[in-house]
Amino acid sequence: MRGSDGELAEELESHISLMAEESIGHGVPPEKAWREARLRFGSVDAATESYRDQRKLPLLETVLSDLRFASRGIRRNPGFATVAVLSLAIGIGANTAIFSLVHSVLLQPLAFSDPSRVYGARSLLPQSFGQNAIGVNPMQAREWAKHCPSLEQVALTRGRGAQIAAGGEPAAFRGADVPHNLFSLFGVSPLLGRAFLIEEEEEGHGRVVMLSESVWRSRFSADPSLVGQSILVDGENHVVVGIVPAWFRALGRDVYRPLVLRKDEIGRMNGNFNYSAYVRLRQAATPASAIAEMNVVLARHSGPAGTRMEVKAALIPMHELVTGRARSGLWMLAAAVGAVLLIVCVNLANLMLSRTASRGREAAIRSALGASRGRQMGQILTESLLLSFSGGFLGVVLAGWTLQFLAATSSFDIPRLEEVRLDNFVLGFAFVLTVVTGLLFGALPAWRFTRTQPQEALRAGSHTVTEGRGGLRLRSALISVEVGLSAALLIVAGLLTSSLTHLLDVDKGFSSDGVLTVDVGLAGGRYAEASSKERFFDRLLSAVSVLPGVSAAGAITQLPTLGESWNDPIYLEGAPSEKKHPVNNRYTSPGYFRAMSIPVLSGRVFGESDRGRSVAVLSEKAAKLLWPGEPNVVGRMFMGEDDKLKTLVGVVAEVRATLPSDAPATAYYPYWQRPPGGMSLVVRTTVDPRSVSGALRTALRGEDAQLPIPAIRTMSEVVVGSVAQRRFQRGLMLAFAICGLLVASLGIYGVVSYSVARRRNEIGIRMALGSSRSQLLGLLLRQGMAPVVFGLGVGVAVALLLGQGIRGLLFEVQPADPLTIAGVSAVLLVVGALACLVPARRAAGSDAIAALRLE
Amino acid sequence: MLIWVTHMRSKAEIWQGTLALMVLKTLNSMGTQHGYGIARRIEQTSDDLLAINHGTLYPVLLKLEQEGAIASEWGVSENNRRAKFYRITPAGRRQLSAEVTQWAQATEIVGRFVALKGQKA
Repeated sequence: MRGSDGELAEELESHISLMAEESIGHGVPPEKAWREARLRFGSVDAATESYRDQRKLPLLETVLSDLRFASRGIRRNPGFATVAVLSLAIGIGANTAIFSLVHSVLLQPLAFSDPSRVYGARSLLPQSFGQNAIGVNPMQAREWAKHCPSLEQVALTRGRGAQIAAGGEPAAFRGADVPHNLFSLFGVSPLLGRAFLIEEEEEGHGRVVMLSESVWRSRFSADPSLVGQSILVDGENHVVVGIVPAWFRALGRDVYRPLVLRKDEIGRMNGNFNYSAYVRLRQAATPASAIAEMNVVLARHSGPAGTRMEVKAALIPMHELVTGRARSGLWMLAAAVGAVLLIVCVNLANLMLSRTASRGREAAIRSALGASRGRQMGQILTESLLLSFSGGFLGVVLAGWTLQFLAATSSFDIPRLEEVRLDNFVLGFAFVLTVVTGLLFGALPAWRFTRTQPQEALRAGSHTVTEGRGGLRLRSALISVEVGLSAALLIVAGLLTSSLTHLLDVDKGFSSDGVLTVDVGLAGGRYAEASSKERFFDRLLSAVSVLPGVSAAGAITQLPTLGESWNDPIYLEGAPSEKKHPVNNRYTSPGYFRAMSIPVLSGRVFGESDRGRSVAVLSEKAAKLLWPGEPNVVGRMFMGEDDKLKTLVGVVAEVRATLPSDAPATAYYPYWQRPPGGMSLVVRTTVDPRSVSGALRTALRGEDAQLPIPAIRTMSEVVVGSVAQRRFQRGLMLAFAICGLLVASLGIYGVVSYSVARRRNEIGIRMALGSSRSQLLGLLLRQGMAPVVFGLGVGVAVALLLGQGIRGLLFEVQPADPLTIAGVSAVLLVVGALACLVPARRAAGSDAIAALRLE
Repeated sequence: MLIWVTHMRSKAEIWQGTLALMVLKTLNSMGTQHGYGIARRIEQTSDDLLAINHGTLYPVLLKLEQEGAIASEWGVSENNRRAKFYRITPAGRRQLSAEVTQWAQATEIVGRFVALKGQKA
C-alpha cells in the first residue's frame, strides 16, 4: 500500500517535470517553467487525496494514520483521556463482571447430564400453616419410584452434618445421606472410586463414605490412595469409597454417606417431611404427566385413620432450585450496570461534542482540502474506539480481580459461584461491548463534526465555530438522559436499602442484643449413647451459665432466621389425618427462652422438674392450631415429637424462622427427651459479648478438649448473615447508583461550563446593561437545571414502571415508595444545582469589560 | 468560451465521466501514452479551449484501470524519468464505442432543440 502511494508521487512528479521541461525547451527560464508547471498541474495533494479516495482499498493505512492522529490528540489532552478511560473501565468492567455472573449462574445449564429433565420433588400441603412446599417423606419417594412410569429415577436424600478429624483440625462439614442411585440420576461419575452400592443402604452394613473433591484437596492433598482407606467420620471408622467431582455442587455437600432408612421411617406416610427428593423424567414424559401420576399415588395412600390428607406433589426444575433465589436479583444488577455504562457513554459523547466543536475550523479545512465526510467521521470514531479499547482492557482486568475477590469471600451466598470465570464467551462479550460503546459515544460527535459548512467556519474573525442553538439543545437533552438514568438507579438502590432496613428491623420475636452463639456438634463414638449426649449438654449448660458476665444460657437445635426445619405434625389424640398439623420442631434447653428474651405468654417453660415427664412448649400459632379459640390450654395433652403423647406446660410468642417470612407454628421439646447430636449454644451477656467469648471457648474445651469449635458469633451477626444475598445486591446497586450520580454530575458541570464559556459575550452585555450578579446566577442556574428537572421527572416515571419488576426483591416497601422518591429527587436536585453553580458563579463574577474584550 | 474547471465536488462525477471518455478516445487514437502525454493531447485536441487541472486526470486513470478499460505498466519517459504508461484494452474499446454512441445521440437530441430555438428567434 505504501508502495503505490510512493509510486503515485513519483508518477505525478514525473508528469510535472515533463511539463516543465517542455516549457524550458520553448525557452522559458527554468524557475518560471517549474512554477507554471506546478500551477497548471493543480494541487498535488488534492490529486493524491482523490486518487486515494478512488482507490479506497488501503483501509489499513487509513486506520493507522487515524490511530496516530487520535493518539496524538489524546496525549495532548490527558485530563479528558484519563476521565474517559477510567469511566469506561468502570462501566465496561462492571458489565463484564455482572455478565459473567449472569452467564454462569443463570444462563449456563447445570453441568450434569441432560439437566432439563432433573427436578426436585416437593410436597404441597394446602392447609399447612404459613408454608408452601416442604420436603417429602420416604414412603412417598418409594411409592413414586414404584408406580410412576414418567419417572425414570427417584432419589431420596437427607441432610446430615459430619465431623472429620483426619487431615487437620477437627471440623464440621455439610453432608448428606444419599441412595446408591443419586449420582447416576444426576449423571455424575465419581472422580475416583465408585458410588454407593445398593447393599450399603441396609442397616448394619459396613460404614462407607464419599468425599467431595474440595475436601479431598484441602484436607488430604488430593492423595489418590485415599480411596480404600479408613478415616474417622463422626468418631467412627468409615471407608472412603469414592471422590465426588468438584463441579457437582448442586447439593452443596462435602460428605456423603449411604441413606439407611429404618423400617418405621419408611412406614410413616403422613409425617416426617424432612427429606429431599430428586427425580429424573423419562425422555417422553412431561412434568405435568409426572405430577399427575405422583398425585394419584399420593391419593391412594391414606393415613392410619382411613381418611385422606390432601398432599399434592410439586416438581421444581433443578436449575431453579439451585439458582432461583438469585435470579431476579442478578437480572436487576445486569440492568443497573447497563444503565451505568449508558450514563458513561452519554457523558463521554457530551465531552467529545464540546471537544470537537472547538475543532470546527479544523473540520472545515479538512473538508475544503477534499477529505470526504466518511473519512472525517472515521477519524473521530477511531479516537472514540481507541479510548474505548483502552478503557475496555482496563475494565476486563478489573472484572477479573472482582470475580476473584467474590469467589474468595463466601459471605455473599451466590449460587454456582464456583463456576463463574472469565471464559472466552465472556471475553467475547467484553470485546463486543467495547466496540459498541466506542461507536455509540463517538457517533454523535462524529456526525456533528462533519455537519459544519466550510464557509461558515473559515469566515474571518470567529475563534470558535458557533454550534447554533441546536448544539446546546442536544447537549441538554443528553444531560436529561443521564439524569434520568441516574434517578432510576438511585431509586432502586434506595428501595433496596429501605427493604434491608425494614428487614433487619422487623420484629423477629427475640432479642439479639448481647447474645453470643456457637454451634456445638458431638461426634459419634464417644457420644454414641443418648445418655452421654444428655450429660454433655447438662454439664456444658451449667458451666456456661455461671460464667462471669453471663445472665442466661440455653441451646437449640436450629437458630432462628436460618430457615425452617424438621417438619413433623402435632395433633390431638385420635385426630383424623387432615387435623394433623405439620409444624416446625425444635429441641431446646430451659434457659433458651430467657437467653433470647422470648416472652412466655401463658404457663411456663419446661425445667429440671420436668425430667422424666413427657412435656412440650408450643408457640401461640401452634396452640391455636390444636385448640382454636380456647384461651387456657396449659396442661392439655397432644401428640407430637414423632407421635408421642405430650403435656403442654406453656405457650410462647412467635419467632421468625427466616427474616422475610412470617413466623411458623413451632413446637419446642426439652433436649433430654431425645438428646440431639448438635445444638447451637446461645448465651446472653450483661457485658460486651466479645469479652465473654474467651471464657466460653475455655468452658467448651474444658468439657471436651477434642471438640471442634467453629467461630463464636453474636446473634446479630447470624441475623445479618441470613440476609447476605440481599446485602450483596444492595451493596452493588448502591455502588452503581453512586457511580452513575458522579458521572452525571460531572456531565452537568461540563455542559454548564461550556455553555457559560460560549456565552461570555452575552453575560458581559447583560452585566453592562445592569443585571445584578444574583440575577445572572439565577438565569444561569435556571437554564442549567432545566434539563436536570426534566430528566428527573422522566427517570422517576421510568423507575415507577420498572419498579413492579423488582417487587419480589423488596420487603415491606412499595416500588412507588414516596419517601425514597422524595429523597432521591432531593439528592439529584442538590447535586445538580451545585454542579451548575460552580461554573455559573465563576462566570457571573467575571468583569464585564474583560468578557467583552475577549472577542 | 473558456471553461475553467476546478475541483468542485458537486460537479465531480459529471466531469469525471466526460474526462474518462476523452482519455479513452485519446489512448485509442494515440496508442500507449503516459499521463502527461494524455493531458497535453486533450488540451491540443480542444485547441487549448479546455484548460484542465492535470491532477484531476489521475483518479480518472485509476478508475478506468479498476474497471479494466485501460492497463498500465512502468516505463521510461522521454526525459529519462520513470513514468507509468497506459494503453486501452479490448474491453476499453467496447466501452468507448458504447459511450461515443450515447454521446452522439445526446448531442443530436439537444441539437434539435437548439436548432428549434434558433428558428424562432
